[in-house]
Amino acid sequence: MKTIDIFYQGEGIASLQHIEFEGQRSFAELLAAIAKQHGLDGAALFLEDEDEPVDERELIGTKAGRSGVKVHVHRCREVRVTVNFKEKSVHDNVRPGKTVGKIKHWAAVRKFGMSEEEASHHHLQLAGTTDQPDTGTHVGALVTKGTCAVEFDLVPTPRVNG
Amino acid sequence: MDSATSRAPDERALRADAAKAAFRLAAAEDRFRVETIEWPVVIATVRAADGVRYALRFDCTGYPASAPTARLWDLTLNASPAPHLWPGSKGGRVAAVFRQDWQSGTALYLPCDRVSFAGHDNWLQETPTMIWNPSRGLIQYLEIVHELLNCADYQTADRAAA
Repeated sequence: MKTIDIFYQGEGIASLQHIEFEGQRSFAELLAAIAKQHGLDGAALFLEDEDEPVDERELIGTKAGRSGVKVHVHRCREVRVTVNFKEKSVHDNVRPGKTVGKIKHWAAVRKFGMSEEEASHHHLQLAGTTDQPDTGTHVGALVTKGTCAVEFDLVPTPRVNG
Repeated sequence: MDSATSRAPDERALRADAAKAAFRLAAAEDRFRVETIEWPVVIATVRAADGVRYALRFDCTGYPASAPTARLWDLTLNASPAPHLWPGSKGGRVAAVFRQDWQSGTALYLPCDRVSFAGHDNWLQETPTMIWNPSRGLIQYLEIVHELLNCADYQTADRAAA
């Protein structure tokens, strides 16, 4: 039976994880396996950058792309995102599987009016830190424990000078 | 004693990192991959926005406590690439890192590069997110290079030039 590469992030899970799962099994089975592994009772499963939770009755193989399936497991159904830039802040409620790259594009281009070129020279930085998560990081992996919220600053990517 | 257990700690650490999910996903998405490990030399390739794959030759001695150092590499010649094969730039962030005038082109001008960091304590304040982080390891260096080769400053190398 064909196995699918599953890449997942989630609540309290420090780094990207990988498992192989049979494509004929359901997302409900996948969720149960991940939740058990990480002690996440009551968590929901989200496909990366999808706006709705996955239909857990569906078979994993139906959603597999070239690199397998990328999912997020979290007890928050939505994450309150704030992005600060200069004197302004914008907010949105997104699914925990939304990537930092998508959020940056939404904030920089759609909300702060940057060109694509300008946006490519900016990064999201966790507010109050110097941490700049990679663009593929799911926002759910960044929420502060006990909350369903993340706050970023949109900052210029530094140019390396001598 | 088999070859795995006879390896030095730095080589074992690098191989363990290269086996992690983040590297597996990057390879599956054709962003970057580790091609060969002939300790302490690690060859990795990174895909740019135009589909060109650039090779980097890392020296990972002392990994991960010591940062690696990397140079552009021509896999065919097994030598530094000709000048016209270096990544192009509009004069911004890409040109600031891929400098043929820095260390004779033998090290990328990045804060996470062991050779380049020496004598640049100012980078600790100016570019804290690019300072080598042993807990992230080689993925940090490769993510930075991938971001550069896919930002708006990148231009296709002048491969037609002699």
